[in-house]
Amino acid sequence: MVSPIYIIVIALGIAFSLGFFGKSKLNFAGILVFLGLLGMSFISGQWLFAFLNDTEVNTLIFTAGFQPPYSISLQMGLNEAVLTSMVNIAGLLGFVYLFRELTTKGIHLLMVYLVFVMSMNVSLMTRDLFNLFVFLEIETIALAGLILLINRKEAFQAGMKYLIASGIISGFLLIGIIMAYQSGGSLNIDDLILANSSIGKISAIAGFLILVAFVLELKPFPANGWGIDVYTAAHPGIGSLVSAAVATTGLYLLYKVLPIVGSQFNDYLVAIGAISFIGSNLMGTRQDNPNRLLGYSSVGQVGLLTIILGLAPSLGNQTLPIAFSILVSHFAAKAGLFWISGIIQSNHIKDWSGLRSSPTLMLLFGAFLLALIGFPPFPSFYGKWELLLTMGGNQQYTIVLIVLLGSFIEAIYLMKWLGYVIKIERVEIPRENLTLHKQIPIWIMGLVLFAMGFLMNRLNDYGASIDYLPLVFIFLLFVLDFLPVSFKNTLSIGGLLFYFIHLWEMVTDDLIRQIFLVIFLIGGILTFVAGYAQKGKRPGFYPTALLMYLGLAGIITAQGMFDFFYNWELMTVGSYFLIIRGKRSMPHAYSYMLFSIGGAYLLLAGFALAAASGAGEGLQALQSISILPEWVYGLLAVGFMSKTASLGLHIWLPGAHGEAESDVSPMVSAILLKAGVFGLVVLFLSIGMYNPSAERLLYVLGWVGALTTLMGNMSAAFQEDAKRLLAYSSVAQLGYILFAFTMMTQMAWLAGFTYTLNHFLFKAILFLIIGAIVVKLGTHNMYQMGGMIKKMPFSFIAVLVSIIVIGGIPPLSGFAGKWLFYNAILEKGWYFQGALIFFSGIVAFLYLFKLIYSVFLGQLKDNHRHMNEISAWVLIPSYLLIIGIMIFSAFPKEVLIPISDAIAPYFGNDALVWEGTKAVSHLGYWDGTTIAIVVGTAFMLILAWLIVLSAKAQKVEQFNIVFAAERPFRPETTHVSYNIYAGFHKAIGFLVTPLVTTFWNRMAEWTLDLAGWGRRIYSGSIQNYTIHVLFYIVVFYLLSMGGY
Amino acid sequence: MVQVILIIGLMLMLLGIYGFMQSKNLLKIVIAFTLFNTGINIIMVSVGYLADAKAPILDKLPDLNEIPNMVDPVPQAMVLTAIVIGLGVTALMLSYVLKLHQEKRSLDINNFKDLKW
Repeated sequence: MVSPIYIIVIALGIAFSLGFFGKSKLNFAGILVFLGLLGMSFISGQWLFAFLNDTEVNTLIFTAGFQPPYSISLQMGLNEAVLTSMVNIAGLLGFVYLFRELTTKGIHLLMVYLVFVMSMNVSLMTRDLFNLFVFLEIETIALAGLILLINRKEAFQAGMKYLIASGIISGFLLIGIIMAYQSGGSLNIDDLILANSSIGKISAIAGFLILVAFVLELKPFPANGWGIDVYTAAHPGIGSLVSAAVATTGLYLLYKVLPIVGSQFNDYLVAIGAISFIGSNLMGTRQDNPNRLLGYSSVGQVGLLTIILGLAPSLGNQTLPIAFSILVSHFAAKAGLFWISGIIQSNHIKDWSGLRSSPTLMLLFGAFLLALIGFPPFPSFYGKWELLLTMGGNQQYTIVLIVLLGSFIEAIYLMKWLGYVIKIERVEIPRENLTLHKQIPIWIMGLVLFAMGFLMNRLNDYGASIDYLPLVFIFLLFVLDFLPVSFKNTLSIGGLLFYFIHLWEMVTDDLIRQIFLVIFLIGGILTFVAGYAQKGKRPGFYPTALLMYLGLAGIITAQGMFDFFYNWELMTVGSYFLIIRGKRSMPHAYSYMLFSIGGAYLLLAGFALAAASGAGEGLQALQSISILPEWVYGLLAVGFMSKTASLGLHIWLPGAHGEAESDVSPMVSAILLKAGVFGLVVLFLSIGMYNPSAERLLYVLGWVGALTTLMGNMSAAFQEDAKRLLAYSSVAQLGYILFAFTMMTQMAWLAGFTYTLNHFLFKAILFLIIGAIVVKLGTHNMYQMGGMIKKMPFSFIAVLVSIIVIGGIPPLSGFAGKWLFYNAILEKGWYFQGALIFFSGIVAFLYLFKLIYSVFLGQLKDNHRHMNEISAWVLIPSYLLIIGIMIFSAFPKEVLIPISDAIAPYFGNDALVWEGTKAVSHLGYWDGTTIAIVVGTAFMLILAWLIVLSAKAQKVEQFNIVFAAERPFRPETTHVSYNIYAGFHKAIGFLVTPLVTTFWNRMAEWTLDLAGWGRRIYSGSIQNYTIHVLFYIVVFYLLSMGGY
Repeated sequence: MVQVILIIGLMLMLLGIYGFMQSKNLLKIVIAFTLFNTGINIIMVSVGYLADAKAPILDKLPDLNEIPNMVDPVPQAMVLTAIVIGLGVTALMLSYVLKLHQEKRSLDINNFKDLKW
């Protein structure tokens, strides 16, 4: 085993020997430095390897042949091995990245670079407090030197601010150290810890000064203007080291000195971290300079880690694993992002859209951002989960709130950035920057991120429940992205089918899960069939779609809260990438994502609170919530309702579904929304029929469902955009479903399931067909369509069947739903809500009529004369779904009886009595099969009669009428379908005033205003920043020790 | 005596803080910074100081049974190191001041607010 002292030997040896190289041998000098860094990485790496294999124990290395306190000792334990490895890898890769810049600047910066990396190594390992100070200073000086790598006035200013601020901080540190020496009698950290713990000898003020200095080294918000400026102005290659390596070191130093200070400051650390985490991320929301934005995000992440360090007493031996998972995500992601920034070389985040020309960088960019927010399968996901569940279990709810709030604010700007990069017009990145030595470090960091995610998964208790194989399949599809659509489509369908068969065995005895599995995966296959109609390569489509389906399938088979949430997040990510594919989808996908993340965090909060009841982390634990049950159920319900787009949380849906690509709309509407429904089903079944702690909640949710229905249907009626009409119709349908489930009776649940199945069937058909028509006609506006019945007869029939189902008209299955629904309402006695639902049902006819009338009937437009039927690939899945509707309509008993049996254990089994094909309830009876036969016969008779009649009819050409007016200025205003319900709008239009949209817009404005106001503290003045630092010390002192 | 040194050190330190909070001139700020550092160094020396004790230089092995009447050498060693570090930092600061001056032909810190928000 090579002693870690050789890290210093190598660095100093090479740094000194560099003096022998003249200007002509700079490349050679560079290679020598590279080898030196390689050697340093090797030394720390082999220790790490040894520790992981348990072949080595904590080792102290004594310098100068004396034992401490007479000499300085270095410690090499697991922590040090991990962290020095991280620092050295960042240093090595950073050097590869900066090779050209550093070698063209002469040997001095090469020396400084080596010393910089070395100083972090030593400060991580040293057990001597003063030695720690010395190497911190060396680090500061070296960094200030490296800032000069870039020859810009901003860099000079940033360096100056950095030097002054850190000079003051180290001044206070020095006083703290000497006072600790005075009271503790040693400079050795272990001696000091012993002195503090045994006799409490370290004077309080010494402890305070040491602590505050190490806290300030972490650049906590708001006393960090000097640090943020370094991120902004330094070369991104240096920025990456500051963010990844220096922050890592700084955090460990804080952890190292914390025992000297004792535990009385832990609460303050949590507060400091919280202020940093939330405040800095809030400032980030207004930022459009990528480096500065990354700086704010770094401060935020370090804040989160400070919280975790402060929570050490309650996290126990989980502290370091949790901190590591978040730290390593931050480490890899920030290093990678800063390096990408150096390739793009722009000071506006919008210019990053050039990344699209490089799929690998694009993938890694997305991965880095998602890792920062804490999405699976990245390590931070595991850390946040563990942290929140433990905090929830300890009933430290404030921490849960803080962590979720900060994470959400961070998501606000990171997701905005991601949206820009995916969507806005491409700005080319300088080709000469796309060299291999600039890209390889980024690739390796990406690899580290994925590998660490995998490692976390394996180390984690719940990891076993996560199947990595489908992710590999998805990655394979990403690699095969260059192949044509038809091939990838077939492969995807095959994958889904295989996965469906594979999972079916896991749910054979659970009908409810079977239903949702069919909706998700068979529905997925059907929508993929429509994909054959697409031309070109559709880059990125299949991996993301499959990711969504993987998540959807995963939430069904999930046994515990962890795998449920894991898959929920996978599904969210996949669907986001699907939704943003539409031409004008950027803002809508953004709001979808924010609502999804917000919803997911509510779920997380719900799970965390559920952990307090101590019933374990299986999903069945939700049945025995003893602490704050109403909160747990409420948080989970609202979380799921963000996905089902209930009133108040629905504003993302019309845009997201309306603007999505034509075959994505059915995926996200007919299928994805059911994820929320499934969540509600699981939740409500856990709550159970008679649960006094949820009664009020269910009642309120019932009202929300009813109002959602009304609002959705009315808004749909006033749409001119065909796809938005369908989108609002989804909002309304999901309102029905929510309402049905909240009634918590067997009858209501039968209605709920009928609606769920129906909505899946008809909404898939409608979005497939209308989506294809919209693409074909080149317009979303219904008043620009018309007369399509003869051009697209098959589409017409499919749409007709669907709207008959929505309208609840016999003989199709929609009527079954309505019948069950009204029975349930009457039995339950929710008359007011029932009246609303009934009224909404009538409103629904308005938009249904508008849809079929303005698209298929009326006058054919001139520019549509040469149109013909939409692609067969769209019609095939639609007609397969119609067959589904027909079967359900003709034989409702075959579906409803098994469902009755499946929910009977929860609600009893007295809703329906079947007499042959006749269903008898307490209030009446209904016979689906007979109705189907009767209505079908009547329909056939009338059809035959009409055919006979029309044999005599005279055919009239379209324009065989008299026009006697001038040409209107805006032709669409004379279209009968345009503003067709103006009268209704006048009467009840006030009900659809977008109050909710206004509310959320205001919230967004206020948040941004707050950020804009807050960041004025960063005035750019060196003096202000010094004052901030001093103020921070004073306020911290007064609060923690001044008796306030 | 020790108290006097301690107080002088503290005052120098506070003077330094006042200096870089009040002065607008970059050079003066650097000077204030060195004052601040010097103050801290004096405080450190005063911590290890014992009245009427010898300098911590040993010419023979001390008798371990009696407490040697000499000044604690550790703070002095620390101060030496701190002075060297302070020198390095000050030199770097001055070179930064030079760079800044070359950029804008001014030493007024109000002219160096290009980075903000």
